[in-house]
Amino acid sequence: MRDDRQLLDFLFSLSEQSPHAADYTRRNFLRLAARLGLGVGAAAAFSRMLGPPLALAAAPPALPEITSIPDRLKGSGVVRVCSYGGAFQDAQRKAYFEPFERLSGIKVIESQGPDPVKLKAMVDTKNVEYDVGEFDRASVINLEKKGDYWEPIDYSLVDTANIDKAFQYKYALDMLPYAQTYAYRADVFKEAKPQSWADFWDTKKFPGPRTMPAGSGGLTPFLEAAVLAEGAPMDKIYPIDIDKAYASLAKIKPAVVKWWEAGAVPAQMLNDKEVVMGVAWNGRIAAIQANGAPVEIGWRQGALRTDAWAVPKGAANRDNAMKFTAFITMPIPQARLSMLIPYGFVNNVAAEHLPAERLAVLPTAPAIKKQMFIYDSQWWADNRDKVIERWSSWLLQ
Amino acid sequence: MAGAAKRVRRASRPRLTHPALVLPLLAYLAAFYAYPVAAMMFRSIAEPHWTLDNFRKIVETPVFLYVLWLTFRIAFVVTIAALLLGFPVAYLLARIDRTKSNLLMMLVLLPFWTSILVRTYAWMVLLGREGIVNQFLLWIGATDAPIRLLNTTFAVYVAMVHILLPFMILPLYSVIRGIDGNLMRAAEGLGATPLGVFRQIVLPLSLPGIAAGCLLVFILALGFFITPALVGGPRDLMIAVLIQQQVELFNWPFASALAVLLLASALLAFAAIAKRLGLEEAIGRAAR
Repeated sequence: MRDDRQLLDFLFSLSEQSPHAADYTRRNFLRLAARLGLGVGAAAAFSRMLGPPLALAAAPPALPEITSIPDRLKGSGVVRVCSYGGAFQDAQRKAYFEPFERLSGIKVIESQGPDPVKLKAMVDTKNVEYDVGEFDRASVINLEKKGDYWEPIDYSLVDTANIDKAFQYKYALDMLPYAQTYAYRADVFKEAKPQSWADFWDTKKFPGPRTMPAGSGGLTPFLEAAVLAEGAPMDKIYPIDIDKAYASLAKIKPAVVKWWEAGAVPAQMLNDKEVVMGVAWNGRIAAIQANGAPVEIGWRQGALRTDAWAVPKGAANRDNAMKFTAFITMPIPQARLSMLIPYGFVNNVAAEHLPAERLAVLPTAPAIKKQMFIYDSQWWADNRDKVIERWSSWLLQ
Repeated sequence: MAGAAKRVRRASRPRLTHPALVLPLLAYLAAFYAYPVAAMMFRSIAEPHWTLDNFRKIVETPVFLYVLWLTFRIAFVVTIAALLLGFPVAYLLARIDRTKSNLLMMLVLLPFWTSILVRTYAWMVLLGREGIVNQFLLWIGATDAPIRLLNTTFAVYVAMVHILLPFMILPLYSVIRGIDGNLMRAAEGLGATPLGVFRQIVLPLSLPGIAAGCLLVFILALGFFITPALVGGPRDLMIAVLIQQQVELFNWPFASALAVLLLASALLAFAAIAKRLGLEEAIGRAAR
């Protein structure tokens, strides 16, 4: 029963928008496939297609332990948390939820599928189903403009000494940085490797099909890449000239065989060589790499994006949600998640709890972080509607 | 004894067909279908104030009508393909003996019970560059390099036809099964060729089944969403994707207007097919 639910979770998560939604271990999948009565051959083909799942290591890595928390984070009762399900939420449970329950005395009740559209309806009808959810900052700001939908973060609980100002926001506290960048088949581009968006756009030097994020399904087209491909420096991306960015995107359009709406798709297409280069989220690529796919990540000129915890207006356990949020941005919980999945950390002290070889593959590792630009959620919150309104006509031109 | 039983049955009949029996269903439909649909229609013209601006915007922005046209084209091709593939199967099922047809029917129904996502995913496995279809083509030497099958309109057609085929076969089967075999034997006896029998007897008598099957497939195809997004090419946009896009942008009145347009198109298609192919008769036949 539970396995069936997991399989459904996985399949539905294909249509999710989060970078982390759909991840599954191959072994898990084969077991499920056997249950569904698929033959071994079919299951193997299927599993190859599914590709990799998040690189949850075969033997679970040793996680740094957290033994005490400040008294201000302790409490009682429950906190209802909404995240993206699947192996991603399993990792969050290990990294965050279990130590939080043990140390704070607050029980975590989990649910799946945070959705700003649904959140608006929940707050409008005063039927708020969870106390804290994982969102990207742009959707928090977007909803904030529609009315009073969020509780302000209680920063008196958060130790912000080692958290970059950029990660702190009135209505949301970033907790999960990730890279949205290009990745390519190393077996196709053996000598010269793509180094920039100009290379991504250069179909003569780097021929072959590509995939990029769509402007539908809750996503936004990667206009920053289009701007950088035209030669703009990284500190001059914003404000984006939307006309120019679309014009630049039009140049690569003939080579794009798929505008993806789900983070699982680009990883899978690279894994199966459906494309030779694509825009993807780094955790997904780490997963196919762990699976043996000859795919490399280009960090240079990538976007550093973040997911954040945000508390819906009128959440029944608001105070516990604030304690939960404050706990998760502490160094050790952050380091624990980065051990399980190669996403970054917002608390700089987390680096001290991570082994060097792990640190080297995280988007927030100092050497990698400085090659990337910070994705401007505020610009997107202000301009998303304009960009999206033009997407479909542009696509069909 | 037999007479008494008949009387009892007759006496109880009025109670069993009492109109009140449909009330629970009506109440259910009113609460969970009619009300939300009405609310959506209302929203499309009444928010933020009484206006037809949403519909004006649809007409004035070429992309919406164009995508609606693309949606109709995909639905139309899928319907025709499902009919051409489904008719021989339904005919065979209706004409062979029960044990064999039950077995074959299971094969039609099995995929029907599998989630759309699973079946879409299966097509991704089959049509991929390293998928079975490409490997077969390479093996027989039909091609030197894998061809792009996945992420094309072709893949959308293939996957949608596969998913919707049972909706075509089932109504066709029930109608063809009801055709009196004596009619065909009589026609043959009078010297009709097999083609003549088909054209003059089978085809006209199965029209209601064709109508019902085409309607089901066409209307379901209009609202398809996940399948084109997963296996389609860059230009395979369907109207449902645009509606979702507007919902995400919190343009709920405009999304409602698009949904009303889709609903109206589906109803128009329904009216056109029902009129042309005699759906009333199909419903009447099923009731019998």
